[in-house]
Amino acid sequence: MLIDHLVILPVINPLAGGLIALMFKRHPRAQSWVAMGAMTAGFACTAGLLFVVWRSGQPVVLQVGGWSAPFGITLIADLLSAMFVLMSQFVLVMGVLYATGSKDSCVQYPTFYPLFLFLATGLTGALLTGDIFNLFVFVELLAISSTVLTAISDDRYGTEAAYKYFYMSQIAAILLLLSIGALYVSCGTLNMAQLAAAIAADPQQSLLPLAVAFLMASFMIKSATFPFHFWQPDFHTAAPTPVSAMLSSVVVKLGVYGFIRMTTLLFVDYIAPMQHTLIVLGVAGICFGGISAIGTHDVKRMLAYSTLAQVGFVLVGIGWGTPLALTAALVFAFNHSIAKSAMLMLAGFVASRASVKSAAFDVVTGVGKPLPLAGVLFFIGGLGLAGIPPTNGFISKMLLFKSGLEAEQIWALLLIGLASTLTMIYTTRAFMRIWWTSPADRISTKPTGDRLYAPLLLVVMILILGLFADPLVALSRETARWLGNPEIYIRAVLGG
Amino acid sequence: MEIMTAFAIGLTFGVGLFQILRRNVIRAAIGLMLLANAVNLFILSTGAYTGREAPYAGIAAGTFSDALPQALILTAIVISFGVTAFVLAMLFVIARRYDTCDGDAIDGLKN
Repeated sequence: MLIDHLVILPVINPLAGGLIALMFKRHPRAQSWVAMGAMTAGFACTAGLLFVVWRSGQPVVLQVGGWSAPFGITLIADLLSAMFVLMSQFVLVMGVLYATGSKDSCVQYPTFYPLFLFLATGLTGALLTGDIFNLFVFVELLAISSTVLTAISDDRYGTEAAYKYFYMSQIAAILLLLSIGALYVSCGTLNMAQLAAAIAADPQQSLLPLAVAFLMASFMIKSATFPFHFWQPDFHTAAPTPVSAMLSSVVVKLGVYGFIRMTTLLFVDYIAPMQHTLIVLGVAGICFGGISAIGTHDVKRMLAYSTLAQVGFVLVGIGWGTPLALTAALVFAFNHSIAKSAMLMLAGFVASRASVKSAAFDVVTGVGKPLPLAGVLFFIGGLGLAGIPPTNGFISKMLLFKSGLEAEQIWALLLIGLASTLTMIYTTRAFMRIWWTSPADRISTKPTGDRLYAPLLLVVMILILGLFADPLVALSRETARWLGNPEIYIRAVLGG
Repeated sequence: MEIMTAFAIGLTFGVGLFQILRRNVIRAAIGLMLLANAVNLFILSTGAYTGREAPYAGIAAGTFSDALPQALILTAIVISFGVTAFVLAMLFVIARRYDTCDGDAIDGLKN
């Protein structure tokens, strides 16, 4: 059917845009227009895709090349995939918008926009594919392009951070391949729907626990979960601002997506150990991330540690696993992506106005004095991270705490409740340092810097999602209902 | 034969992991290559012992070797080739910028 081809458009658009942008390598201006056009078209297609999935009430499936399910590669958009792709594409469009107004010299680099679009391709493809080996290929594309983007950063430690991350992402890829091999030996297939059916039919295969463990470890490295997080603050701090806003908001959500797929589709029989691991590591990440964020000397690094904490909240929601908790996790993931990308862009904006291009507190103290608009945006974004109404963070935290009460997880709830007050401390401290404190010596704020359009739009989105939260919550609730019934996914791919 | 292959793959994994943990960044890069090859061999062995014939149509089931793992490895080899090239390029930049091959001396990000 023709409508099925809608699912490939969000992947094809950035890929084609990237290739076209490569042809314009001598014209950075044209490249930025191509990138903007491709990403906007991709976003529009994704919105259409989500609409079709929502209206028809069943996943949109495309068997690429017409090869039927277990033999060919399947692209599938159920509500979870479509929602995550919509979130990613929105933030990526904002990233391109920020890059077009950025004063960084790496933005003029001829491969910046192509790499950015390949990053988008990798992320979208990994979310939409229904084949676990295809997932590996897209994850590699994502990892390599984000590493190159960090390596060409203006920050003089960019290459070092990229080197660190690259080793970690390669270890994650090797673990993913090991898990793919183990799954292939156990079930004789790589199609996720068929894998899910085969594992449910015979969950006692000897290699399956190994596959679960490797896949968990791989996604933990991808999402920078607590004991595997050590590369993340370096990497997210050294990346160019438009890229670090993507990495810290939507790219870490790929691991979150993997955990949701594992617990609700692939390994439903191994759910108990996975959920306990996620709860313990999530709570540890929340506490550790919050405390570390308070102890940092750099705004971007502070926000990177904050990601560690906020992803912890999402993991705890997945770990509780009730329909309400899954709803809360999805809402949290969506809202965090928007708030965190806005905050990182604002941090980058402030750094671009500082005397030395750096987001260290010593450099940016008092820089905000002549920038009242950025101050208001940063304040609202901080409220969004901390979960104070009327921002979207309030909705997500309220849902999560409510689901925790319902699941009677009092200890975890108490710990994360205490740790979430840390968010307020560090965002307020950063705000006071930049906008209220007078600079030590009379450092003048630079007259020009990055443009504020993208963070402005994102902050408006924070407020809209905080005041009119119903559509997002309804979408997440429906998604959680689908996740409770993996038959929907399996039947859509395999038919019958 | 299976047990020999298993030991060989395990040994490659062990050597690769050991090298990747060394301080010398060039040894670490070699370790990464060894690990990539070990995991490719592992995937190859998942389909290696099902039969000996090439998988053409019209051959009795159970006598042909599984072609899918080989196709997977082909993709994985291409990716690991790109990965290796990129790691070496980054090492070139790092070695020039920091004037060292000692991983512990590359510590500009220590905050």
